[in-house]
Amino acid sequence: MPSREMKQSVENGLVIAAELAAGQADASAKPKVIATRKRCEADGVGLSHYILMDRKAGK
Amino acid sequence: MNAVSHNLTAPSAGRYANLGVGPTLLPFDIGHADYMALSEPETAFWALVRKDQLAATLADGPLMRSYREKAADFARELHALRFELKPSAVYVNPTERCNLNCTYCYIPEGMRRSGQHMAADKLIAALERLKVYFGTVVPEGKKPRIIFHGAEPLMNRGALFAAIDAFKDDFVFGVQTNATLLDDEVIAFLADRQVSIGLSLDGPLAETTDATRLTFGGKSVHGKVLRAMDALRGYASWSVIATCTEKNLDQLVPLVDLFHAREVPTCMLNAVRCTLPGARTVRPDDEALARGFIAALERTHELFRQTGRKMVVANFANILLAILAPTARRLMCDISPCGGGRAFFALAPDGGMFPCSEFIGLDEFRGGNLFTDRIEDVLESPAFRTVTERNVDRIVPCKGCAIRHFCGSPCPAEAHEMNGGMERVGAFCGFYEEQTRYAFRLIADGKADDFLWDGWDAKEGGVESSFEFALP
Repeated sequence: MPSREMKQSVENGLVIAAELAAGQADASAKPKVIATRKRCEADGVGLSHYILMDRKAGK
Repeated sequence: MNAVSHNLTAPSAGRYANLGVGPTLLPFDIGHADYMALSEPETAFWALVRKDQLAATLADGPLMRSYREKAADFARELHALRFELKPSAVYVNPTERCNLNCTYCYIPEGMRRSGQHMAADKLIAALERLKVYFGTVVPEGKKPRIIFHGAEPLMNRGALFAAIDAFKDDFVFGVQTNATLLDDEVIAFLADRQVSIGLSLDGPLAETTDATRLTFGGKSVHGKVLRAMDALRGYASWSVIATCTEKNLDQLVPLVDLFHAREVPTCMLNAVRCTLPGARTVRPDDEALARGFIAALERTHELFRQTGRKMVVANFANILLAILAPTARRLMCDISPCGGGRAFFALAPDGGMFPCSEFIGLDEFRGGNLFTDRIEDVLESPAFRTVTERNVDRIVPCKGCAIRHFCGSPCPAEAHEMNGGMERVGAFCGFYEEQTRYAFRLIADGKADDFLWDGWDAKEGGVESSFEFALP
């Protein structure tokens, strides 16, 4: 049975399958808190008109 | 109030969230059945907290203690990313001309119809100057990037090819093209030299593409782009950009079906940039854009599950990365200051230097000329500093927003031209809210990696964990 919050999400048109699937799982079995962070050398140079694909090219 | 600059002169200083000099932990709804998010915006730290645990988590418990140990590191990392980068790429427009008259182009029509080409010898001279400059700022062993951009760079194909061959050992090259001139000969040349190729297509059917992308004579180019995509199938380094407008929102799901069927490795589904008035005529509503965009993302996930082949939507992947690993961003629009004028800059055919391609039609943002000015001086010019000093921490309402460093309030060109100034919010605030909430839902459900490049966090790629916290 969907929760009230989920019904509200359906009403505003932004519900997604992930929300529904998440709602069906047993909440108490999920971690109480999740927090992660990774780091690396920053070298991003893309912009919204272009994404550089660095993978080795081959054809 | 923050945990970074706190001064432990009192026994409780910094101990409690949202008090005194303690961390600012802002809770916000992500639309998930079980989790809410907490964010410390100043360091881009976040946690997903089960709804029944929110009060306990905000108390002085294990999460707070773990975060306090890392807060200064995270603040330094974010500061370096936002303020200490040096340019390592240039978007080079080798011509002002284009053979298309797209509704939303950020290059003025007069330039595209009858503008100038950059002669081959001038283009080579430009790249020589850039090579010398990058030798002073790019670490040894790393190659700077040159991306030929437009207008349509292949309208000046001779100069382009000459430049790529002259500097093939000095730069990593890319080309963004409308694909109408991308014949077998051009593809062979670029593929042999491992040049990254980006195309543009806005719809699964000609009638959708034709709504925004036609020749000056009104002819469709949809079929030509599809032929180029077929010819590129199997090449590792290509991508397709779809510009999301009110004309194609209902076609984004079939569009990603088309991309996936044609084995596009990476695509972008970009909200139209509203810098020039023409683009604003097809500007989508934020909520409708979010709905169509998320539906398309969900479809890419279904296709991945069905076929085992992933097609990354790079602009969304970048939002995920901004959350999971801020320094691993590939795109530098969704950060403040943006990458324009600091991680990269743009070069016009007359040698004019601009913070980003988006500004090439706006002469007040011309910071200098590559052939007559020192690059270092241009980077510090008032025109560039107007962009590089645009700071989301000073923008209303962004400065109080929990996700401001996952979004960056893009884009300065739109803020300036459409919203009235650099200190104004960007163009698609509501769309960024929904993207970010969706990204957090995926993280909560353990699905984020399905939307990112394979191996994005590999240790051999230099990525390491700096915080790992799960409270069972």
